[in-house]
Amino acid sequence: MLKKVLLSLPIALAVTGAIAAQAPEDVLDRLVTKAGNPAYLTQSPQNRMMMPDNPAYMVADDGEKLFKEKRGPKNASLEECDFGEGPGVIKGAYVELPRYFPDTGKVMDLESRLIYCMKTLQGFTDNDQQIKKRHGNDSDMMKLQTYIAMQSNGMPWNPPLSHPLEKAMRDAGEVMFYRRAGKMDFACSTCHAATGLRIRASVLPNKDVPEEWTKAISWPAFRVGQDNVRSSQHRLLECLWQMRYPNIKPGSDASIALISFWTDAARGQPAILPDMKR
Amino acid sequence: MSKITPIAAAVAAASLFLVAGQGTAQQAPAATQGAAPAKPAATAPDATGVKRPEPLKKRAPDKAAPQTEVLIMDSQGIRMAPANVSAQMLAEYLILESAGFDLSQATQEGTTGKDRLVQDDIQKLCSLGKGQQLDPKAAQKVSEIATASIKYPEGGIKLGDWKKGRDLAWSGFGFRTAHNPDDHSKQQPGANCYNCHQLATDRTGGTIGPPLTSYGKLRGNSEEILKYTYGVIYNAHAFFPCTNMPRMGARNILTQEQIADVMAYLFDPASPVNTSAMSGMSGM
Repeated sequence: MLKKVLLSLPIALAVTGAIAAQAPEDVLDRLVTKAGNPAYLTQSPQNRMMMPDNPAYMVADDGEKLFKEKRGPKNASLEECDFGEGPGVIKGAYVELPRYFPDTGKVMDLESRLIYCMKTLQGFTDNDQQIKKRHGNDSDMMKLQTYIAMQSNGMPWNPPLSHPLEKAMRDAGEVMFYRRAGKMDFACSTCHAATGLRIRASVLPNKDVPEEWTKAISWPAFRVGQDNVRSSQHRLLECLWQMRYPNIKPGSDASIALISFWTDAARGQPAILPDMKR
Repeated sequence: MSKITPIAAAVAAASLFLVAGQGTAQQAPAATQGAAPAKPAATAPDATGVKRPEPLKKRAPDKAAPQTEVLIMDSQGIRMAPANVSAQMLAEYLILESAGFDLSQATQEGTTGKDRLVQDDIQKLCSLGKGQQLDPKAAQKVSEIATASIKYPEGGIKLGDWKKGRDLAWSGFGFRTAHNPDDHSKQQPGANCYNCHQLATDRTGGTIGPPLTSYGKLRGNSEEILKYTYGVIYNAHAFFPCTNMPRMGARNILTQEQIADVMAYLFDPASPVNTSAMSGMSGM
């Protein structure tokens, strides 16, 4: 782990230098001050210290190369992919996802939109590793997601709700958030509707405090305990596992409804990308 | 133009269903059978009066659609129609009918993923949205259902082995499925107590539930308190309707023997729960 961090140092410095005004740790520091040092935002001083050397920068660096490289059966880059702001525009695109896309008739999150572009522009299929492997530092998916998401660092979450399907998904996500089920009767709200509560030693974020919640939803983030960069879909997967729910299908409408709701709950607060979490 | 999506289809089905209720259509589509009746959208922002901030940027007009309409798909193809679908109906559809979850996934108790997701009465009554209060009638119903579920051990409540209870209280293992199912043949399910409660102070417990340090020392071990404590572990809704506490007995998470061990951990004078120093504990 330490070796990895040291190896990443020069790259990290180069990357952070380029976006110094927007360093994620600065975004976090301002939130901590604004929200009055809430326990959730301040629970890991070690992680805060390591943020300038976040291993996620290395993953994002690979992602940038993959994004610009001509790949797949169609030998195309992802530079023409429309993440909602027009073909090739990735700056600020992530904080306005999930959103409705007329070309698919669906509300899509970053992961599902990225896969759509890898299929349509590059010709990859569901069976290709480039799409199939969703998790881990070494996956194309996490490299690309981290790179794309980072271009929205410090920008306020602003998922559109002007399309009726966007609003319908967000509202269904709210119902799901409070819906108790599973072997132990848990809902998302069991853990995320009050401030400062802990599961064992871990302080939980409150959905109703946007300054806390923006950190909670700032994925991709490097999870120190897992030594990997993780996505929103991965966060969802792990919560539902702890909740004793069956497996959720990645990119399903059910998953995107929840992500629509949780992103809306952080509206207006700056994204911390990439973040570093325990 | 737009392609047909499962959601659009669900919205369409639900819309038609509602229209049918008003007597203007012939048949309700099969997709809506078993869906909850359209209750007022209690958790929808309009109903709770919660105002979300306006989007920070104006969207391009060609991307916007009329505010009062929802995309639907029916025999006439894709079009916009009045929004008649409650958030509850769409949520139920997404969870149970849209293939969002692995409904056929095997569970440790021999049921399926679908059984984990379909709500029972207590789960339904206790799914309260933001700012929504449990009304007294619902609370009474929850309490009655829970009270009726509690099975007390034959021959009275006896305390088990506090050391076994300590291990159970600490373990968060068991009944997790999803991408990494817990194998109960390798390890028995735990009681998950420390996830939410502080018990003995040699380990850090959570704060979602109240601290239980010195539980037996403070309360004694009368038959009455033993029976009450057994009931709380078995199905806490009997005493605290819509509590966050899992129904450890009523949902077959713990056996009676395991409950006896956990109770020994709470009551035995030699248990670290009762020998721990209470100084520094908050909320006692």
